[in-house]
Amino acid sequence: MLSAQLALNAVALGAAYALVAIGFVLVLNATTAVNFAHGESVVAGGFAAVALTGLVAGIWPGAVPGIVLLPGVLLLTALLGLAIAGLAYLPIRDRPPVSVFVTTIAFGIIVANGLNAGFGAAPRTAPALLGGGTVELLGITASRQSLAIIATAAILIGALAFLLQRTQLGRRFRACAQDPEMARALGIRLTRITLLGFALGTAFAGAAGLLLAHQFFVTPSDGASLILKAYIAVVIGGWGSLRGAALGAFLIAVFEVAVASVSSQPMAEGLLYAAVLLVLLVRPEGIFGEPQRLRA
Amino acid sequence: MSAIARTLAILAVLTASGLAVADEPPRLPVLVPITGFLSLEGTSQRNGAELALRDSGVAFDVDDTATAPETAVNAFERAMASGRDGENVIAVVAPMLGTQMLALVPLADEFEVPLITVSGTARITELGSPNVFRFFPGDVVVKAAHARYAVEELGAKQPAVIFQTTAYGQSGHAELDRNLEQLGAPAVLAEGLDVTVKDMLPVLSKVRDSGADALLLHLHAGPTALVIRQARAMGLDIPIVAGSAMHQPETAALLEPGELAGVCAESGASPISESAPEMRAFVEAYRDAFDREPDAFALAQYDGVRMVLTAVDLGARTAANIRDWLSSQRHEGLAMTYASDGKGNMAHSAVILCYDGDSQVPAIVKRYDNITGVL
Repeated sequence: MLSAQLALNAVALGAAYALVAIGFVLVLNATTAVNFAHGESVVAGGFAAVALTGLVAGIWPGAVPGIVLLPGVLLLTALLGLAIAGLAYLPIRDRPPVSVFVTTIAFGIIVANGLNAGFGAAPRTAPALLGGGTVELLGITASRQSLAIIATAAILIGALAFLLQRTQLGRRFRACAQDPEMARALGIRLTRITLLGFALGTAFAGAAGLLLAHQFFVTPSDGASLILKAYIAVVIGGWGSLRGAALGAFLIAVFEVAVASVSSQPMAEGLLYAAVLLVLLVRPEGIFGEPQRLRA
Repeated sequence: MSAIARTLAILAVLTASGLAVADEPPRLPVLVPITGFLSLEGTSQRNGAELALRDSGVAFDVDDTATAPETAVNAFERAMASGRDGENVIAVVAPMLGTQMLALVPLADEFEVPLITVSGTARITELGSPNVFRFFPGDVVVKAAHARYAVEELGAKQPAVIFQTTAYGQSGHAELDRNLEQLGAPAVLAEGLDVTVKDMLPVLSKVRDSGADALLLHLHAGPTALVIRQARAMGLDIPIVAGSAMHQPETAALLEPGELAGVCAESGASPISESAPEMRAFVEAYRDAFDREPDAFALAQYDGVRMVLTAVDLGARTAANIRDWLSSQRHEGLAMTYASDGKGNMAHSAVILCYDGDSQVPAIVKRYDNITGVL
């Protein structure tokens, strides 16, 4: 049942990528700015898990399950998001968008080099979410880690959906995403929403880092490829669309896993970018369109 | 001219040069990738060079070449621009990243400065430059050992090959293919992977479907560990013979000992596996200095710099002196005996090390000495 395993792998990878892409869009919607430090935020989440493992191991009986580290990873990367907002966005938010490109790229480089200096250049691994091994599920041998990734991502995305759809805070966030000027006129504090966007978006990136770090390891230089995946997902799914970002992320995983298994990895990557070009030609606003708003 | 006469002549020139240029310490810039995807190996290079240069009287600065060729070029030009307009630069420790080396070779020829490197990319010594000196066995050496061990020792008849799509990976793949063909065991599958690929199940499923009886890897450290972990997780239990990256202690540390059962790797050396007193002293000194285990890249770079310093001790003070020395002399290093084959390939031996499934420290199971016949 290797094809079932491949399908499960694709869904698990897509779920982790979805967290990355959704986090990217959260910042985009809160600020209209592209956060090029987002890839490094994922890496920071992975290394936060590595560091917390060392701290928790002393008090946890037996091997530390990665799920125990999730609250700490979310908190630490949310704080990183606030730092990105405070240092790389808020001081220059009235400048041309290219300024934010530069400051967030610079912040990302600082984070990557800081992680390199602090943890070293070697790949590191975080503990599995709920232990390793496999389980028999509907006749297929499924990786416990893959199932845990899917479940964790689903819970986080579900919680975000509840926040955005069923809470006053979520309504304010959506209002700012749709029309910041009107939102400001109605008394919504844009700076607070901006900070929330960065904190939430970076926390989602950090969670993805934890989910990916066991099976795929984490190195300080991984950020560049991850921001590219987030960008592609958003282009495919629709600039500013959360569900579009998730869809785009799953499409990327399908190419990386399923298409690569029947062709080759370089071919699959080429086909992915060809698909992106096709989307841009046929439906430039992305599969789920985009809100009526100026985008950086 | 006999070898003895040639050596005496060189020593005379070195001494004369030393007397003439005695007022400025010689410089040996260390240009290595400390950030980016090759930072693990580059850090080993730096550490090996630094350990050799300590208390040597030779001045050195470390500059990060990251991953892009232009970054390495900029670092080289900065190194040559400092000091006395670069006149006292006697050699440069050059990055092991093949694409960067290919960019630096023309510059080295322009400035007439020897490059001391541990890059495995075959092409760097095929450009006709007199200024490249490779102290890690090149692909011609290690891939011969790689293929011979898989075929002659493990009995592989239908090997599969997974290689990196970088210059390093493609170079090694070409050599592996050539050796496997010569041994009568051509690869039944050969797949290239980008360094950013994380999910190895697609390529491993193809390996399984191909009916391969052994898996040969020519990947960087992270992807090597990923392939091994995911292969064992999917129940692919065929022998795996990996490239040099697997010998690095940091790579083995990513895997559980049980995942390493049936895994071997080629390398120029494995310092932590050796018991000779000089090697143990090196390992201890390295641990004390850098709080980590040394690998073959660090050792090879150490040996390369020590060969340069031997010339300096004998009076060499110019890049030309060093080049002449490296081109003509034999050096007994810790890892092996080094001597140029006329193209700058200094290392001609390799080892195969294997993990027993109970430990993350491998044992050397096979030595392939003087594969090129140069020594």
